[in-house]
Amino acid sequence: MTIPTFILKNALRNKRRALLSVLSVAVSLFLLVTLQVALRELTNPISDEGSSLRIIVRNKVSLAQPLPARQLQVLERMPGVVAVSPFTFYGGLYKGDEKFTSFAQFAIDPQRALPLIDDAKVPKEQLAAWMADRTSCLVGKMTADRYGFKIGDRLQFTGQIYPCDLEFKIAGIYQGTADDRNVMFHQKYLDEALGNPGTVGTWWVRAASIEEAPLVTDRINKAFANTSAEVRAESERAFVLGFVSMWANIKTLIGGISIVVVFALILVTVSTMSMAIRERFRELAILKAIGFKRRELFVLILAESFGLAMLGAIIGAGGAWALFNNINIQQATNGLFLMFEVTPEMLGMAFAVAAALGVLSAVLPMINVARTSVVQGLKTLD
Amino acid sequence: MALPLNYSFRNALVRWRSTIATVLGIALVVFVFVLLQSLAAGIEKSSGNTGDPRNIMVVRKGSTAESASLISRENFTEIRYFEEIARNEAGEPVISADVLVLVNLARRENNGEANVLLRGVTARGMELRPQVKLAAGRWFEPGQREIVVSAKLAKRFANFDIGDSFKTGSASFTVVGWLDGGGSAFDSECWLDADECRSTFERDMYSSFLIRAPDDAAAEKLMARIENDRRFKLKAEKEVEYYKKQTMTAAPIKWLGGFLAVMMSVGAVFAAMNTMYAAVGARTREIGTLRVLGFRRRAVVTALLIEGGFLAFLGGIIGCAVAFYWNGYTTATMGFETFSEIVFQFSVTPQLVAQGLVFAVVVGLIGTLFPAIRASRLPVIAALKSI
Repeated sequence: MTIPTFILKNALRNKRRALLSVLSVAVSLFLLVTLQVALRELTNPISDEGSSLRIIVRNKVSLAQPLPARQLQVLERMPGVVAVSPFTFYGGLYKGDEKFTSFAQFAIDPQRALPLIDDAKVPKEQLAAWMADRTSCLVGKMTADRYGFKIGDRLQFTGQIYPCDLEFKIAGIYQGTADDRNVMFHQKYLDEALGNPGTVGTWWVRAASIEEAPLVTDRINKAFANTSAEVRAESERAFVLGFVSMWANIKTLIGGISIVVVFALILVTVSTMSMAIRERFRELAILKAIGFKRRELFVLILAESFGLAMLGAIIGAGGAWALFNNINIQQATNGLFLMFEVTPEMLGMAFAVAAALGVLSAVLPMINVARTSVVQGLKTLD
Repeated sequence: MALPLNYSFRNALVRWRSTIATVLGIALVVFVFVLLQSLAAGIEKSSGNTGDPRNIMVVRKGSTAESASLISRENFTEIRYFEEIARNEAGEPVISADVLVLVNLARRENNGEANVLLRGVTARGMELRPQVKLAAGRWFEPGQREIVVSAKLAKRFANFDIGDSFKTGSASFTVVGWLDGGGSAFDSECWLDADECRSTFERDMYSSFLIRAPDDAAAEKLMARIENDRRFKLKAEKEVEYYKKQTMTAAPIKWLGGFLAVMMSVGAVFAAMNTMYAAVGARTREIGTLRVLGFRRRAVVTALLIEGGFLAFLGGIIGCAVAFYWNGYTTATMGFETFSEIVFQFSVTPQLVAQGLVFAVVVGLIGTLFPAIRASRLPVIAALKSI
């Protein structure tokens, strides 16, 4: 019998326990990776190259306060600005939904917004049809798939923020943006429904280059300082991060809880894995008696618990990776999560935790083994 | 004959190391479950604790919250003379047209920014909300750009101490007092004069009406009258009902709590199983002896289940106790309905404690069941022979 087969035989001599140990490691690491992915997605919104080029301009008071439509002229003439469009969150409740609509509807100026939505892929004739018809809209492919929308369908919305209900005809379906869920329609249509109040929700601005974007942001902020409608311009990414900051304590809390979760599972796993070794006290004493050194014994035990922990990591973390890469997370979570990407760092961390687990659960009982004399060990019955 | 309880209890103590790990493991599972659910319960409690049963809240049909509602001044002039509305001593109808404005303000210690809900409130509106008391300072003077902020928000936002002032829009407001909403949704609001609020933020429209009806019959009649009048497009409901529904924020927290509890309990069941299998394995001879002495299989299974259940129960108690440490602790997040910072307290309710304990015991029993069955099936002679 070689040393490796000895280790393997030892690890598998109680198959049930080996399985339970591996599974509890796997479950904990699966959970660890899942929490990490979810937390990352919540606190680190998806961004593409465009999101640092695009700038959102909102009222300084808050997002809920509208901006005067006359600001358009000032913005358009500003150096470094390629395109400006109104960008108004309509916040309608879709007729088919009961309480909550999972996609947003934005009123924009299609002509002006073209450079802003250049990452959206829409067949040419659909785009033309949308631009031509004031009452039509573009729908993101994810939403279209989820609700089974087809071109030509009519969508009815109840205004939850604006005091008007709207109906759109679907002119086209777009895809290829970071978030293919939104509905885009004509600001003019919303204005008419509201009786032309001369306001927009926010402005959507595209800067000429990434280098120029911060300068443009500054220029916009300064241009409207001390006017009746002061603004806050920030990159789309910063804007979204602002939302994350509003989560306040909940974010910290979830982070803290992940740590508790991992700690709990590690505690339990270390204990069960140590048990396998403690039970072998007598045997280890025999090995000691026939001349194995402490160090050699430690290597034997370590290899076994390390191997089990790693197997658990492969199943748990690897399973999470395989699962989240292969299921349609958008459908599974009703659009709550979009990417759910398992990064290499997370996998690395999971394996590091597993390694620590393996070492820890070997070291603790080993200290006992080292302390006990051969004679005492042989006497142990447990 | 059943085995004495003492047998189960003392057995648990013999393997103290794995016993402690199992107990603590289950304690942490229960802790996470109870803590997250207590957050959701806190949000629900604060909403459920808001309003006066005699009041009727009117918002625009279709809007989910007061802050997203707009009602025209014409509607106000018409509705205020409805005869179903109660009158005060001066003979004026008890109705308040409020204006709600979301304002983005900086948190203390450069902790980012968040939206705060400002309520432009009338003298009637303050009478209609007796829950709200002044905690410090004085009430605002109309026309002086003064504001009274919630004492709980004051701990979270910069420039919210009495005497401080902050700028928003074209105006700068001076904080002259702190209000105490008594654990209601008003703890997440700042109050100022309604007309001043409308002029500062250029609001032509009102956000909501709060109306007092003299009795229940009049209230029903009034709500039906407002709802059915086609000119208005307004929704009228009891103020308490309105607030009870403002709990969308709690839903994802509840979901997360449930998800974590299920996932963690799977791990905990594996661990408990391992512990109990080991306990059974080590006690093979002992169990054989018990059987020879005449204890039935059922008695052995019961004793082991009691052991596992007891350990888990202990874990549950520890978990609940640790979670209870946070009971009443104030925290905040963004409310989904108001889109502003809402303040609430962790609320470890008796139901949650009961749920946590039941949950713990179930985990313990599932983890023990298979090892216990195995123990009862050991052949007596072989068991006695084993070391």
